Amino acid sequence: MKILVCISVVPDTTSKITLDSTNTRINSEGITFIVGPYDDYALSRAIEIKEQTQAELVVLHVGSSDSDALIRKCLALGADRAVRIDTAALDSYQVAQEIIHYAKDQSFDLIMMGKESIDYNSGIVHALVAHGLSYNHFSPVMHLELDANKLILEIETDSGKSKVSTTLPAILGCQEPIAEWKIPSMRGIMTARTKEIAVISPIHSNFEQHIAAHVVETERLQKMISAEDAESLIDILKSENLI
Amino acid sequence: MKNLAVFIDSKNGQISESSKRLLDLSSSWLVQNGLEGIYVYGFEEQSSDSFNSFSSIKQYIHITIPGLVNNNQVIAPLLEDIKQKEIDQFFYVKSLLVDSIAAFLAESLSIPLVSNVIKLAKVSDGYQLTKSIFSGKATLTTEINNNSFIAAFNKSFTFETTSQAGNLAISQAVIALGTDAQNKLIENYPLTGAIPLPDAAIVVGAGRGFNDPSNWGIVEDLAKELGAATACSKPVSDLNWRPHHEHVGQTGVKIAPKLYIACGISGAIQHLAGVNGSRKIVVINNDPEAPFFKHADYGIVGDVFDVLPRLLNKLKSH
Repeated sequence: MKILVCISVVPDTTSKITLDSTNTRINSEGITFIVGPYDDYALSRAIEIKEQTQAELVVLHVGSSDSDALIRKCLALGADRAVRIDTAALDSYQVAQEIIHYAKDQSFDLIMMGKESIDYNSGIVHALVAHGLSYNHFSPVMHLELDANKLILEIETDSGKSKVSTTLPAILGCQEPIAEWKIPSMRGIMTARTKEIAVISPIHSNFEQHIAAHVVETERLQKMISAEDAESLIDILKSENLI
Repeated sequence: MKNLAVFIDSKNGQISESSKRLLDLSSSWLVQNGLEGIYVYGFEEQSSDSFNSFSSIKQYIHITIPGLVNNNQVIAPLLEDIKQKEIDQFFYVKSLLVDSIAAFLAESLSIPLVSNVIKLAKVSDGYQLTKSIFSGKATLTTEINNNSFIAAFNKSFTFETTSQAGNLAISQAVIALGTDAQNKLIENYPLTGAIPLPDAAIVVGAGRGFNDPSNWGIVEDLAKELGAATACSKPVSDLNWRPHHEHVGQTGVKIAPKLYIACGISGAIQHLAGVNGSRKIVVINNDPEAPFFKHADYGIVGDVFDVLPRLLNKLKSH
C-alpha cells in the first residue's frame, strides 16, 4: 500500500495578518509558519495506518525550500520520504494540477490532506485532484478505518454526518477528530535527517489571473455597555435590525 | 454571449435565503454583463411559482442523487447536460455537496473555481472576484482574464441590484446522477437541534465561563427567544459539556450569522477564526481583559448569570 499526504505551509493560527508595501501580498516578516493544522490531522492518521499496514508513506508539498524544515518534521513524525514541487503555491487550481501531474503515474492507493488550508480556506484542492485522477473522494472526513481495500469513513455533510464505505484508490480531505496530533520522538528526529526530500520541477499550469488587492479586516466597533445598563443592548440590536 | 448556471439550496421545496439572494444577484449580473439567461440547478422538486420573483431564468433542472456524489462517474450525466447548454459562468453558495460537483466541473471544463467569494465585478478585460481569506481576517481580490469561471459565494456576499420584472413560467427538467457500486452509504446522522448552526441568522455561543453543563439552560432559553442556534467554544466540546457539532472555531464550524452573541468565551484566536464572518458580534464576559472585547462590536463586562437573565426578561417584555 502507498499513501501520499499533501501538506500546506501556512501562518501560525495566532499570527496577526498584515500586508506588505504593495498591498497585494501578505507580509511574511515576523510570522511563524506551520504545517496546516488539518493537514497535520491527515498526516497523523496516515502514520497510524502506516504502522498498522507497513504502507509506504510519502509527504508532498508545493512550495519553496523555506518549507524544508517543516517537511523534515513530517519525516521525523514517521513519513518515509518527501517530495517538494519547487514553486510558490498560488491557488487551488495550480496546486491541484501540480499534485495530479506528480501523482498520476505513482499509483498511490490513498491520498490524504486537510479539508482546507487555513490561509486561503478554499477547501477544494482534494476535490480537484480526485477528479483529475478519477479517484473516489470524500471531505471532510472525521473517522477513517481501513478494512482490506475498503475504507469505512465518517464524513460531515451539509445536513449532519454520514457513515460511508468506499474503495481504494481514494482521496480524502481530513479534519478532527480523525487522529490526535503527534509529536516527533528523538529517534524520529535523528532518522529524519537521512530521509530524502526530492525536489521536482513544477509544470506551471495556471489560469491567467493576478492579484489586484489584499485588504485586512476592518476593526469592530468595540463599544462597551455597562453591566447595570445591559438591557439597553436589546434596544441597540433592535434598532440595527439584528434581532 | 452565453448563459449563467446557478446551483440553489432548498429544504422541503423552500429555497434558502442565501440562494434567493444569489438568484437576485444573478438576475442583476446577467443584465449588467449581457449574458443570455439563467439555468437554475437544484436538488429538490420545485413548484412552478418558486421562481416568480426572479427574471431571466430559462429552466429549472432538478438533479436527483441516487447514491453518493463522490467520483467522476457519478457526476458525468450532469456534465453532459451542462455541455449542451453553453454555460459560461457558474454560481453557488458554498456547500459541501456543490463543492464536490463544482470541482468536477472546474477540472473537466478547465475553468477557474474561486471559493468564498464575497463580491464580484466586471472590469475592462475580465472579472474581479473578491474572496474572504484567513477565516475572515482579510480579503483577496483576484482578476480573472477568462470569460468562464465558477464562483462559490460565502453567505455574507454583497451585490448591487438592478431591478427586474419577474418570470412568468419556466420550464423544468430532471437529471439523475449516476450510481457507483464502490461507494455506499451506511448510515446518516442528521443534525439535531431546532436550528442548524451553519444556517442560523443569529447564534448564541457559550464558553467555559458557564462552569458546568447544567448551567446551559439560560443559553438555550435566550437562543430560543431570539430564534438563534447555540454554539460553544472548543474547551466546552472537548469536555463533552456540549456536542462536537456545536464547536465553533478554527477546527470546528465556521459561522457567518448577522449577529453572534458570545457569552463567557474569552476569545482565543482559534475561536475568533470561526466567527470572524459574523456581521455584528456581542461579547459578554466578567473578565474586562478578555481578548474577545477587542473583536466585538458591543461588549458587556459582567457575570453571564446576571446579564443573560436580564436580557431575556427585557426581550420577553417587548
